Amino acid sequence: MAAYLSMGEAHRRIGDYLSRVVNAISSSDGAALASLISVSSAPGSTPLSDALAAFPDFPRLAGDRFPHLADLLVPLLRSIHSHSLQRFSDAYSSFEKAASAFLQEFRNWETPWAMEAMHTVALEIRLLAEKADRELATTGKNPDKLQAAGSFLMKVFGALAVKGPKRIGALYVTCQLFKIYFRLGTVNLCRSVIRSIETARNFDFEDFPVKDKVTYMYYTGRLEVFNENFLVADQKLTYALMHCNPQSESNLRRILKFLIPVKLSIGVLPKRTLLERYNLLEYADVVTSLKRGDLRLLRQALDRHEDQFLKSGVYLVLEKLELQVYQRLVKKIHIIQRQKEPAKAHQIKLDVVVKALKWLEIDMDVDEVECIMACLIYKNLIKGYFAHKSKVLVLSKQDPFPKLNGKPV
Amino acid sequence: MDTTNQNAVYYDPQRDVSVPGPTQSVTNSEPHVVQSANSYVPCLTSVQHDYNAAQHPNYYYNYRQAENDSSVQVVVQSPGAAYQPLASFQNSGSYVCPASNTYYNAGTHQMAPGYATSSYYYYHQNNALADGSSVNNHAQSYQSYTPDIAQSSNSLPTSSVHYQQHYNQWPYYYDQSAQTLGGLAVAGSTTSITKAAVVGSDYVHPSDQPPPPGTTSWKTDFGNSASPTAQAPGIQGYQNQYAPKATVAPVFQNQYVNNTAGISTFQNQYASSEYRHSSANCNQLPLSIQADQQNTCHLHGSSSNVSSANHVSENSRAPGQDSVTSNIHMVNKLHIQTNPQIAPGLPIGTPKVDKSNLEADSSSKPAYVCVSMPKNDLKAVAVQGGSEAVMQVTGSFPVSLRTYVERSLARCKDDAQRTAIRRMLKEIITKVTADGTLHTKNWDIEPLFTLPEISTGTNMTGSGNDSSPFSFPSSRRSPSRRTKSRWEPVPEEKVANNVEFPKQSAKSNICSSLEPTKRTSNSWHLSKFAPSCQSPLSQFSQRSTKKQRTGGGASLTENGNVSSDSVKEQDLTKYYVSSITIANSPEENKRREHRSMRFERRQGSSSKSGSSLQDEDATANIYTRRALSLLLNRSNGDGAGCGLAVEDLDWDTLTIKGTCQEIEKEYLRLTKAPNPAEVRPEHVLEKALHMVETSKKNYLYKCDQLKSIRQDLVVQRIQNELTVKVYETHARLAIQSGDVPEYNQCQSQLKRLYRGGIKGCNIEFSAYNLLCVMLHYISKRDLLSSMASLPKEAKKDATVKHALEVRSAVSSGNYVLFFKLYKAAPNLNSCLMDLYVERMRFEAIKCMSKAYRPTVPVRYAAHVLGFVGIDEVREANGADGLEECKKWLRAHGAVLSVDNNGELQIDTKVSSTSLHMPEPENAVSHGDTSLAVNDFLSRAS
Repeated sequence: MAAYLSMGEAHRRIGDYLSRVVNAISSSDGAALASLISVSSAPGSTPLSDALAAFPDFPRLAGDRFPHLADLLVPLLRSIHSHSLQRFSDAYSSFEKAASAFLQEFRNWETPWAMEAMHTVALEIRLLAEKADRELATTGKNPDKLQAAGSFLMKVFGALAVKGPKRIGALYVTCQLFKIYFRLGTVNLCRSVIRSIETARNFDFEDFPVKDKVTYMYYTGRLEVFNENFLVADQKLTYALMHCNPQSESNLRRILKFLIPVKLSIGVLPKRTLLERYNLLEYADVVTSLKRGDLRLLRQALDRHEDQFLKSGVYLVLEKLELQVYQRLVKKIHIIQRQKEPAKAHQIKLDVVVKALKWLEIDMDVDEVECIMACLIYKNLIKGYFAHKSKVLVLSKQDPFPKLNGKPV
Repeated sequence: MDTTNQNAVYYDPQRDVSVPGPTQSVTNSEPHVVQSANSYVPCLTSVQHDYNAAQHPNYYYNYRQAENDSSVQVVVQSPGAAYQPLASFQNSGSYVCPASNTYYNAGTHQMAPGYATSSYYYYHQNNALADGSSVNNHAQSYQSYTPDIAQSSNSLPTSSVHYQQHYNQWPYYYDQSAQTLGGLAVAGSTTSITKAAVVGSDYVHPSDQPPPPGTTSWKTDFGNSASPTAQAPGIQGYQNQYAPKATVAPVFQNQYVNNTAGISTFQNQYASSEYRHSSANCNQLPLSIQADQQNTCHLHGSSSNVSSANHVSENSRAPGQDSVTSNIHMVNKLHIQTNPQIAPGLPIGTPKVDKSNLEADSSSKPAYVCVSMPKNDLKAVAVQGGSEAVMQVTGSFPVSLRTYVERSLARCKDDAQRTAIRRMLKEIITKVTADGTLHTKNWDIEPLFTLPEISTGTNMTGSGNDSSPFSFPSSRRSPSRRTKSRWEPVPEEKVANNVEFPKQSAKSNICSSLEPTKRTSNSWHLSKFAPSCQSPLSQFSQRSTKKQRTGGGASLTENGNVSSDSVKEQDLTKYYVSSITIANSPEENKRREHRSMRFERRQGSSSKSGSSLQDEDATANIYTRRALSLLLNRSNGDGAGCGLAVEDLDWDTLTIKGTCQEIEKEYLRLTKAPNPAEVRPEHVLEKALHMVETSKKNYLYKCDQLKSIRQDLVVQRIQNELTVKVYETHARLAIQSGDVPEYNQCQSQLKRLYRGGIKGCNIEFSAYNLLCVMLHYISKRDLLSSMASLPKEAKKDATVKHALEVRSAVSSGNYVLFFKLYKAAPNLNSCLMDLYVERMRFEAIKCMSKAYRPTVPVRYAAHVLGFVGIDEVREANGADGLEECKKWLRAHGAVLSVDNNGELQIDTKVSSTSLHMPEPENAVSHGDTSLAVNDFLSRAS
């Protein structure tokens, strides 16, 4: 605790804070209000938190002075106090109460002047919930605050996603919800929010603020990656990439982290400089293996970064690149064979492929390789057919290895 | 000896072992003292001396008492060596002397209005106030008894019931003791400054005299001697000295402490009894004496405790109880801490002490916090009730019971609950004691009973103390739970705190380390306490006289009232007990124990349930309990500031304990609260599981049995290896039978159980989970998360490895690999893969018909599609497999033709357009053949 603080001084500081909050509300100053109610960004000891510590009767002070806003102010002060004491769980609980009171008020305000404050509330409640959950987890309790924050934000979303001027703030809350759901792993809850955003006829998506749109596209793009819906994912992530603030490298990197695998799966390979610039070198080997048809390299890369890929959710996407690597391998064999004996260039014996895989130290028997060839044909990665009797892969004379050209396998 | 410690007077209710002063003493004294007033202020002072440790913590309870009759009972316990190590001991040390001194002085000198007011404050409920304006009446009842073990044991059997009877007889003791006491007191006061040794000797003397009846008698004696100011010159002298002592306080206190050390318990009846320890005194005291005292104390500590408990009960009867209770509370606390260690070693007789202490403790909890609060009275009453109950019970109490009681009380959210629980506890203990299962019962696993919701405000308002000891305002919450703001100390007190705190911290290091959380509360108490202590001094003397006078009658009547209440309770319990305890034969006992184990919970929940075994009762109880807990939960949730979430709901109270001994039981989805008579306990469930495992019956039967086992586990909230085993067994059976929904249920439960750290075949099941997620294509994200959550060691497991390979085969469409893995699947992986085979085959045939030209031999297809075994062993079945494959291909629209060599081929070009998934043969109108009634019945039979 800081130096001794007189009761009067503490009283004055608290009173000052309270009147600033009330003034911001009465003068409809959303920005001022937003800065006043951000709890989690405050350092451990601020003049206000010291005052709260020195003047423990602050709830009554707030209640007496501004009885009409007591529901908001009292828990807000409590939250600030708890937060300064590092009691995040308490801070969250109090803040949620304050946020509920604020939401109530917000509903009654005709104009969206307090949108900035509302957004601050949405952000704060998520950050506090994360802190609280961390605290709860370390004490062995059930970390359920983030979930609670999610349900509260759904309420906020309900208040914003209406006709009228407030709707413009809905996307921000949606993004906060996404962040919560992705962290909790309950991404299926995103669906209802997305539906509400995308099916709205009376509000054009483009009218939302750019930053919210980028965030939204980033998260929905990730969702599409999960669904292996690569075309849509590509579209959304590309939108996010295009509209993202070019200064914000970390955000660009985040987008690229998902966009690159998506692009790979539709046959678009990134330049190495891109990977280097955004420090996404975990994809470098994958890209190389695609270029070389080096199945072993792909498997090694997947193995090396397995945890990382699994965590970000691109593992399965990258794994699917295997077929493309096979295709590349067969293509290489075809090219070599064409040089050696042009007459039989279109007939690739299965033994040759098996031998090539052996060189790559990949142990597959003939049946399996045959199966892979069949799959390549089946998936349109190779044009041609397989003659079972002679164990020969017969390639089409025209464009035996069609490019994906933006189409997924 | 550590002077600092000695100086420090700790008033820590929690840590202190304070013996509640008995009201009885007052009543006893009455005959002697005409002046007796109704109210007595019990002061419980537990002084623990640890000479060896160099810590001299003293416990001080200053209780200035009710104005009417303030009888302060100070029980000083000097804990034996055994005690010293305990935290309680340290607490005493932590008590800050300086603060107390200051207060003390102020109080003594002033006697002041402030005190009077404070006393009023406390006792406003008592009529006493009017009388209360008392000057310095020192009604001091010193009851010091050196409890010999024998004595204590004797006293124990003599239950409270006897007390009253003894009462009358006591006067006799009384006189003797009174004189001696008086002498002692004087001596002590005087000597305290000069000679500690003398004091010690004096004390020893009293210890010799303890009356057989036990502590009570002693107390009475003391009270008599002390109470009348006029009676003994020595006493007067004492009083006189008292004021000076205030200034000198430490010295004076030391004497007391010493005395206490020598006398395990002594109760002072004077309104304000402050015991302070002065280091100087301690030093002066002859070590040998101290040591002796300590020894005796230690030995008898338990007995003394018992006596204190008795006193407490007595106090409860007395109008002045309020303050007393708080003291008691503290005392109890100390005992609790100390007892555990002592108890095990003690003979049966002593354990009882623990019990009583516990009871008192539990009951006193609320009170203790509230020491300074006016509401304490009520709590005190509660305490009394608890202690009374305890008192009545004869026998010894195991440590586990103590913890049990503690647990039960710890759950209480407010006083009302606490009192209710206390009553339940009392009843249970009475019953169990009568039952003979007290020591045999495993209290550790005994379910706690529900927290009852008591309607608020019954007796809250006022004079509840006087009228009925059992009425407690439910609205009051235990202070400990309170937010500080609510009880925010008055500025005055704050100052006191400030003064005291530094020293306290310095001196009470041990204490703080032991119970850091309590420290603040302690200091708080201290501050509050000090004023209260002061007042007693001044008011004591006057009041004591009056008190005893009226008190004689009043207290008696009060006692009568109380006892009538308690008697009722007793009667009830007796009734039930008697119904249970018909025979005392060991067999009977055993049987009874068994039975009581089964129904203990129920009894706890409703005090009236007694031994009735009817199911209706049981279920009704469960209902009420459930409703109560829900209600509680809700109310708590509404409560300002303290939102209690669902997880705070005490499910323990809702848990039932099955009694059904049938091994076989049909599953029936519960539509009401489970009936314990129909629920099998764990050991029966084990047998049931074994039965299912070895049963030759079909899956439907086993599934039904397993579901009922699961249900029984759930309603009893059994979550251990058995639970895991049941779910694993069921999951395996379900996999084998392709019962995916059931498997999913088991799997999700297993996931939870494994996460809870319960051992099982979690690696095997993580493989199944992986396969299940993948094969059933729930979502990529689930697959990812279950892959990501695989622990490293799991990835080395053959089953998991296999599952991962299967996954990769599926994702790359490598049907050859898939069917290879299918043939070589470990454990039950193949059963899960079965579920995917059809889909995989169809994918494969589509792929083949597109990729192969012009034909593919059926033999090859049968081979790669797993119809024919790959290994030689399976060759014998080759023909069958081929036939099957042919049938399957035809069913899926493949076009077969025979080539020149007579080899059956798939015409891939034609087939590629004609392939289709056949209508499932077993399709029925409602979509699932297994739902066809006739079929179901035929299979189930």
